[in-house]
Amino acid sequence: MTQEIDLSKLPPAEPYDEARDKAQRKRLLDVWQEPPGWKIISAVNNDHVGKWYLLTSFAFFVFAGILALMIRAQLAVPDNDLFGQSLYNQLFTLHGTAMMFLFAVPIFEAVAILVLPEILGARDLPFPRLSAFGYWCFLIGGVFVCGSIFFGVAPDGGWFMYTPLSSNTDYSGLGADIWLLGLSFIEVSSIAAAVELIVGVLKCRPPGMRLNLMPLYCWYVLVVAGMILFAFPPLIAGDLLLEMERAFDWAFFDVDRGGDPLLWQHLFWIFGHPEVYIIFLPSIALIATMLPTFANRPMVGHSWIVLSAVGVAFLSFGLWVHHMFTTGLPEISLSFFSAASEAVAVPTGIQIFCFIATMLVSKVRASVPMLFAGGALAIFVFGGLTGVMVALVPFDWQAHDSYFVVAHLHYTLIGGMLFPLFAGIHYWYPFVTQKAMSDRLGTWSFWLMFGGFNLAFLPMHWTGVMGMPRRVWTYDVTDGWAVLNMVSTVGAFVFAAGFAVLAVNVLWPRGRQPLVERNHWNAGTMEWVAEVPDKPWGIRSIPYIHTRYPLWEQPDLMGQIDRGEWFLPDAEEGKRELIVTDILDARPLYVQRVGGPTFLTIGSAVCLGAVFILATYHLWALTLAFGVGFIGFTLWWLWTGTSEIPERPEKYAGRGLTLPTYAQGNRSPGWWAVFITMTGDLTAFMGLVFSYFFYWTALPDFFPSADQIPGISWLLLGLVGLVAGWLMTVAARRLLGEGRRGMAVGLLCGSVPVGFAGLGAWCLAAWQAGLDPTAQSFDAMVWMLILWMGLHLLLNALMQLYVAARILARICTPDYRADLMNLTLFTHFLALTAVVIFALLAIFPMLMGAA
Amino acid sequence: MTRESDKQPGGYGPPGDAPRLIGQGSVWIMVAAPTIWALHFVASYTFAATWCAKAGPSLAEPRWIIAMMGVICVALIGWLALLAVRRYGGVFVIFEEITESSERARDRFIGHVSLLLCILSAVAIVFTALPGFFFSTC
Repeated sequence: MTQEIDLSKLPPAEPYDEARDKAQRKRLLDVWQEPPGWKIISAVNNDHVGKWYLLTSFAFFVFAGILALMIRAQLAVPDNDLFGQSLYNQLFTLHGTAMMFLFAVPIFEAVAILVLPEILGARDLPFPRLSAFGYWCFLIGGVFVCGSIFFGVAPDGGWFMYTPLSSNTDYSGLGADIWLLGLSFIEVSSIAAAVELIVGVLKCRPPGMRLNLMPLYCWYVLVVAGMILFAFPPLIAGDLLLEMERAFDWAFFDVDRGGDPLLWQHLFWIFGHPEVYIIFLPSIALIATMLPTFANRPMVGHSWIVLSAVGVAFLSFGLWVHHMFTTGLPEISLSFFSAASEAVAVPTGIQIFCFIATMLVSKVRASVPMLFAGGALAIFVFGGLTGVMVALVPFDWQAHDSYFVVAHLHYTLIGGMLFPLFAGIHYWYPFVTQKAMSDRLGTWSFWLMFGGFNLAFLPMHWTGVMGMPRRVWTYDVTDGWAVLNMVSTVGAFVFAAGFAVLAVNVLWPRGRQPLVERNHWNAGTMEWVAEVPDKPWGIRSIPYIHTRYPLWEQPDLMGQIDRGEWFLPDAEEGKRELIVTDILDARPLYVQRVGGPTFLTIGSAVCLGAVFILATYHLWALTLAFGVGFIGFTLWWLWTGTSEIPERPEKYAGRGLTLPTYAQGNRSPGWWAVFITMTGDLTAFMGLVFSYFFYWTALPDFFPSADQIPGISWLLLGLVGLVAGWLMTVAARRLLGEGRRGMAVGLLCGSVPVGFAGLGAWCLAAWQAGLDPTAQSFDAMVWMLILWMGLHLLLNALMQLYVAARILARICTPDYRADLMNLTLFTHFLALTAVVIFALLAIFPMLMGAA
Repeated sequence: MTRESDKQPGGYGPPGDAPRLIGQGSVWIMVAAPTIWALHFVASYTFAATWCAKAGPSLAEPRWIIAMMGVICVALIGWLALLAVRRYGGVFVIFEEITESSERARDRFIGHVSLLLCILSAVAIVFTALPGFFFSTC
């Protein structure tokens, strides 16, 4: 076993000295203080970015909610012509899109960015500037997508944008492009947040917080961020295919040219179904966090909840075809997905039973958050049960695309996501603002929303069974749906009134109201250690944690933290510092320095946003210009803010603990971030591989005649070039470690043309075979795989040259070479991608006898 | 070549924080069982889809292949469960209270959760394999 320091036997803290405490607090304050005045937008602290994220998500929620009320107004009476059909299509499309992509997923990131570091007793997340970048991307992309409705060009093909309606430019206009590019852009911010949160949970736990002591919220965040990493990339791959067809007429979804519209449904729902759980789990995590507080005891079956979160995360990837039961797939395929859809109810049920058990074995304190939590469980269980119904193929054939499904999905999402979130808002409001919310308004808003919700959505089960299809613009009085629809509309407005009460309660200025006392609800988790009034540094000193509910089970912890008796109580070097620990046992590994306020991330996000927005309008020259701007800002940000060589190799962290100030390879969070990002990238690539095999199974003649298959010799030569480029980078890492800087720089620079030569050989092979991406799906697929490689090579070239420049500037040195190590990791993935593409282009056709 | 900066601070951490495989002291055993479920699921789906597209409507022959895949995967999971019990000290308890702060407790916790996930994954695999026995054609 490894030699281990016993954290519980650290030397005692130095006796309290008021002057020292004051001086330390002043230095901490100087370092963590947010910039004054308007410059506050350059802040990157998790508490600021988290709050902005939260408010922006809620703004989009209100926007999408107003769209919902417009939908309900239109459907209130038969033969209504309040809104035109075209506007109605935009209303429901944008309602679904905004609720899913601009509210439900971002709010998870918002809450996690806001409270996760505090629950972990950390000062911030490991990449605060990345969170800020993600936030600005989200804001720009969201405003762009939502703003389109004011110009009458909002997407109108339904929130899942089925092809060929969305791929054929005769049927769908600019709206589809706005949807595709706007959301791809927002997906960037989701993946950025996922990377941030995974590394945060794995590497930024306080010393001693072993896996068995980690709070449930952290487990959920870890699981959900992991799911984002595997669920979002297939959609990005799908977006890429669809946009290539829309913009450049590549043949992916057009049946006449060997395409298949069903491919889009697969790619969309491989994302779409896990997404439901990506939305649901973090909200249920809020209940799992607050329930022990109000029950005044630890959660019953802590590990069963971990089981349930991990189990749901996996099983949720086996459900996607249950959205496609009516597309004519073989029944045996449908039944696999039906079985998995039933199976997922098992772990989902387990966590609900754990909650109920916790409430049964204790006397639960009545409070507004618990009211919302209770309402959430009631509604969610109801929605879950209708879910088990529609998971059965024969029933689904009857209910598919009817209002029954609308009712089901709103019961699961509002019960599973929205109500727990409102519970969380009431619970953490005192943590964020240090003021208490009005209980009276809270109770009012709950009952209005609970009643309004059921009034609106319960009747929809009947309207659905009576045959009302979803998304219809209007209906006839003879259809017999009029009364039920009117009831739903009234319910929707009651619900909205409830939300208005909640919004007033949240936004009410509470300037003169007294501050709440510390640890308002008497909770056991670390975020409540925050001082009142709040300080920008997150936590005064980072404690040693050896229990699941530290504030309950570690006596005088708050006092010790306040007196600066734990780790990193000071900021002598004027740097923002975190402790990075190991994954299993949270042993302290090193002190990480993170970036402070900056405008670079905003510049970077604005440029990237412009790239996506301009591409929508096919303004390619401007797109390119902003693309260069984006690269410029990002390189500037990386050059000045990452992998800096510390002024000394280690520092004293307090309590006899001396830690290094630099880490590289798999001990540094940066390495993990690259690893996780590239896992996501590989998943997107797997989406393309899936598409390739999908065509192969779905089309009898996917492979063209032998002379149109790219020639093996050029393909092989290309592979050699690409692999050589990778080996050169690996060699450069080794040589730099041995101190041969010149050789390393030479290899890094040399690997760029070698890689591109390899790609050139592939292009030549495809060109010689006469492959035309606008002619056939096979041709388009081959070119897409080559294009994918090309995009990665461009990125690779930038990074190779960047690291070479860092070596020349002596920022990346034989001793401090994190940059090169991260680059090498990137190229490992690149080499793997190259090998798989080669197998698809050269080996697989040969095995199938086509070449 | 190992340089000074690669070394761990004296005695604070394990040598490198690399993800260990499913030997003791790793988190990978937790995801191993559900991953087997996922692979089994993808294999069953791909196999059935390819069979129905390329071979034909009768499911009499693939039935036994689906069954075999199920049996192999459940056996693999059984082996993982054994590992979770023997090597990690995982136990099957309802009221879990593994809150001690020690390496052994962390191992027991991982073993316990892995054991639960093994059970869940095995059940889910049986769920997936069942339709193979009810359908005689695609």
